[in-house]
Order: sequence, then structure tokens, then C-alpha cells
Amino acid sequence: MDIFHNIILGFQVASSWENILFCFIGVLIGTLIGVLPGIGPTTGIAILIPVTFGMSATTAIITLAGIYYGAMYGGSTTSILINLPGESASVMTMLDGYQMAKKGRSGPALGMAALASFIAGTFALIMLTLIAPPLASYAVSFGPPEYFALTFMGLTLVSALGGDAPLKAYISAVLGLLVACIGIDAISGVARFTFDNMYLLDGVGFIGMAIGLFAVSEILVNIEEPIKQVFSDAKLGFLSLFPNLQDWKDSFGALWRGSLLGFFIGTLPGSGATLCSFIAYAVEKKVSKHPEKFGTGVIEGVAAPEGANNAAAGGAMVPLLTLGIPSGGATAVMLGALMIHGLRPGPMLFSTNPEFVWGLIASMYIGNVFLVILNMPLIGIWVKLLKVPYKVLMPLILTIAATGIFATDNNVFDMWVMFFFGLVGYVMRKLDFPAAPMVLALVIGRLVEMSLRQSLTISHGSISIFFTRPISGVLTVIALLSLFAPLLRIIWIRYKAGKATA
Amino acid sequence: MKKAEMITGVVLLILSGLVIWGALEMPPSATFGPGAGFLPFWLGVLLAVLATILFVSAWRSQATEKDSEPVFPGKQALFAIAAVLGGLAVYILLIDVLGYLVDTFLFVVFLVKVVERGPWPLTLKLAAATTAGLFITFHILLKITLPSNMFGF
Repeated sequence: MDIFHNIILGFQVASSWENILFCFIGVLIGTLIGVLPGIGPTTGIAILIPVTFGMSATTAIITLAGIYYGAMYGGSTTSILINLPGESASVMTMLDGYQMAKKGRSGPALGMAALASFIAGTFALIMLTLIAPPLASYAVSFGPPEYFALTFMGLTLVSALGGDAPLKAYISAVLGLLVACIGIDAISGVARFTFDNMYLLDGVGFIGMAIGLFAVSEILVNIEEPIKQVFSDAKLGFLSLFPNLQDWKDSFGALWRGSLLGFFIGTLPGSGATLCSFIAYAVEKKVSKHPEKFGTGVIEGVAAPEGANNAAAGGAMVPLLTLGIPSGGATAVMLGALMIHGLRPGPMLFSTNPEFVWGLIASMYIGNVFLVILNMPLIGIWVKLLKVPYKVLMPLILTIAATGIFATDNNVFDMWVMFFFGLVGYVMRKLDFPAAPMVLALVIGRLVEMSLRQSLTISHGSISIFFTRPISGVLTVIALLSLFAPLLRIIWIRYKAGKATA
Repeated sequence: MKKAEMITGVVLLILSGLVIWGALEMPPSATFGPGAGFLPFWLGVLLAVLATILFVSAWRSQATEKDSEPVFPGKQALFAIAAVLGGLAVYILLIDVLGYLVDTFLFVVFLVKVVERGPWPLTLKLAAATTAGLFITFHILLKITLPSNMFGF
């Protein structure tokens, strides 16, 4: 079997001492970032990309991916113990997790969160192992029109699903595409919007923009509204962490539903782990025999969202690895890291760099085991870390970010890029413009433009090329539907309101 | 929020005008197929349309209670934000003059002492630890040449 062959190759790569060490460091930092309020996984990945430059591409991405799924584990700890989500995907875990902790059941809640994360995370990896190769070999036949349709769909879905203000998300995406236009045009060699600045000829540095938009603006918002410091004095013995038989019975349905939902919704561009955990919680409440008990500390309410957000982290790797399309902010930053390390994400990745793809997937199996170990016996250490004040954290994040930016290209101009986008990101946060579409647009902007212009050259300028080829036709239609979905919703609401008054 | 969105709409509209003007200035395609200005031009048009929708829908929306709250924070928070951004700008400006070690040390002192109002012993300990940690990670482990001053450090 091909799959076994590939997985064995993967484990050979992933089990080199270097990759195991950095996988461990990655999930350790990820857990830390998940636990600490005020720094999310996207920020964490962005500021640590420069640190990975000395590593091989495989080791680097293993580390960064570890941060991503590690944060999903860590986020639940603070949600349960102090009713404060360590990152946004753990918001739903608070509802029942904190209630369980109040009733003195913080042990089983934390244990279930870690075990649900492990089970769903492993499930998602098995699905990734099975689904990704056929999808990639199918996508190899994609030409420019398919790629344009795909990137277009990615952008519209990220914008449409990414928040409650699609219009602002579209503006954010368009601005990102415009930023991607800055620099020398790859087809004609014309310098565009460079304002005679030689540093801009290469285009705007992706790391500077991502760190500015996510890390610097996050710091500015946190300074404005200081984070409450809440401590937990819960005493947690190792054995108290294990859920009892009744807990497992109650959570069984939630676990598999959460895993399935998280994985499949997680593969859609724009969905993200946060959305998956919301949906999983809502579904669980709907199918439950006692929906009124949700929010009072039922263990299903912890298992479902925690399972879903970890499964989503695995699901998000499907479009990233097979198509080169990220599903949200964190994966967009990872895509940028892939490109910096000289890998060209897309369907060819599976045939040109199998040791990378399978090494990464195998490392995620290993990382999930590390995470259960880190999050169960060592949970007391993480709880103590909550006492680190933001005073200490803030200068650390800012100086790591600034130093990393400088280290990227050894030039100070990139630090100004970070400064500029930090300011832009802060204003965007205040005005409810999401940053993820902008970063995504910058990362895939070149691909969007190349595929669009190549397609129009092939078709002598007719846009019908995007509709007449079957795959690009379907993708374009999905993109247009999601583009106009907000409009259709408004019309539908007006229509219903009109019928009600008539 | 209403007023802020209307202002944003106008700013974006001006920006889209500049983009369209810039795109039209670009040389046309030398061969057949769209040229360098093609995508920027249409992105400019799209931005203009979206900015107009934002402006009009903000203008027509009823002012709610949320609108009476200011979007941006009060004086004290604004001072803290300005201090962080200003400090960062000075940090970037001086990094080639003071060298990485001195500049980073002073920047952390500024952030902890002035912005976060931490006590002096904590400030100095943090500044020394952060600077040393970063220098070891980036310069010694990752072998990156960090900016140095005229005395060579």
C-alpha cells in the first residue's frame, strides 16, 4: 500500500533527533501561547518564523505546525480554570468547563479537554493521511483558470465566513491584494507603486506585515484595555484528571461528532478552529436529550468544542498542503513560512517533496502524544505560568518581533513595515476590519494575479474561461455565491419582514 | 462607529482614486494579454465600489447607543499607545547608532518603566534578561549579524 509506504517514510523523517526535539519545542511553545492570554497562535507563529531560518524547511514547518495545534490544547486550560480563553478557539469551552471547575470538577474537565483534543486531533490526522494524497494528485491537472478560481474562492470564503462584517472583510482582502501588487511585476518587469524606494522593488515583506497586523496591533489593544490577572488555586493531582466512566459515556457522541464536524468544516477556507468549536457546541446542544443543562457544567460541553478545534487544526492542513490555499490567519502565516523556506505549496508538493509532507504529517502524530503528556501530568506548571504579568510579556513579544524582523533580511526597512502595519492593524481592530483576509491576500496575491492574467491571455480576454471549464466553473460559482451571500441574506430578511407586515 | 465608518469610506475612496490613477499611468502590455496595470486598475475600481457601499450604509444607518461611545480610547490609554509606537519608532531609528545591545536594553527599560510603570529593580532585571536572551538566541545560536554601534557592540 502506498499510504503505509508514505507514512513509514514520514516517521523516518520525523523521528530524527532534531525533528523530535523541535516538534517538542514547537508544541511546548504552542501550549505556552495557548495558556497565556494576550498572545494567540497566529502572533506566536509570525514572531517565531525568523527563529526557524537556520533550520531545514521540514524542521522549521514541524516546529511552526506544533505551535499551531499546541495552542489548541493550551487554550482550554485557562478557559476552564479562570473563565478566560487563552485563545479564541477556546471560548466555547468556557461555558461548561468553568462551571465544572466551580463544582469542583476541574480535574475531569481538564483531562477531558486534553483527551478529547488528542482523540480528535489523531482522528483528523488519519483523515488527512487518507484524503490529502488523492486530492493532491487530482489537483495536479489544474491550469491557471482553476488556480484563479481556487484562490478567488479562498479569498471570498475567508471574507464571508471570517466574521460578522463581510463588507469590511472584502475591503481588507482588496487592500491586501493591492499591497501584493507593490514591487516589480513578474510578467512585464514594470515597477508598481514603489514610490522610488528600492526596498519596495521586491514587494512588501510578508513577515513584517503579518507581525505588524497580528502581534504589534495585539499589543496596542492589550495596552489600551489591560488584561485582568486572575489566578487559580486549584489543586490538581494527576489521578484527579481522569474522567470517570459516566463522563466517557456522556462524551462519546460529542467526541465523534466534534471530530467529524471539526475536520470537515476545518478544511473549508475561512472556517478556522474558532468557528468549528462554535458549531460543534451548537450541534451538541441541539442533539442532546437535556439541552437545558448545557452551560451548567456538562462534560459534553467541553468534549465537543475541544475536539472540534483540534480536528479543525488537522483539517486546515488539507487545503494548505494539497492546494496551497490557507484556511485562515494562522495557516496563511504558515504558508508564507513555507514559501520563505523555498517550498512551493500546491499539489506538486506531494510528489516533489514527499519527505517534507509526510515528515510533517508524521510529526503531528508524535506532537499529539507530546501534548497529552505535557497537558496532563504537567498541568500544574501551566497554571503557575498564568502569574506571569503582562508587564513582562509585552516587552518580550515586541522585542522578539522586532529582532526577528531584522534577522529576516538584515535590514531596518522591514522593521518600518512592521511599524506601519502595526498602526494599520490597530486602527483595523478598532473599526472591526478583520486582518486575516489581508494577510491571506498578500500571501496568495502573486498567485492570484499570475493565474488571472495567464488565464485571460489564454482566452484572449474573455472571462468565460472561468465558467466553461468544469472545475473552475464550480469553484467560481461557489466563490460568487459566498460573495453575494450577505446580500441574499438581507433580501431574504426584508422579504420575510415584508410578508410579516402584509 | 457611524462617523468613523463614514470617514473610513472617504479615506478608502481617495485611496482607490490614487490607485486607479497610478494603474492608468503604468505602461500598457507589450504583448497580447493584460498588462501590469490590469489588476491594480480593477482592484481600484472594486475598492471604490466597496468604499461607497461602506459610506452609504454607514450614513443611512440609524445612530445606535453604541455610536455615542467613542471608537478610540480616552487620553490615558491613547498616551500609552502613543508611547509604545513612539518608543518603537525611536528604537528602530537608533538601532544603527546605539547598536543592538544598548538600544534593546533602553527600549525594554522604556516599555517597563514608562509604559507599564514597573518598579526599577524589575525593570533593570527584565531589560538585562531580555537583551541577553535575544542576543544569545539570534547572534550566538542563529549566527545573525545584529546592528552594532561605532564601538563595535
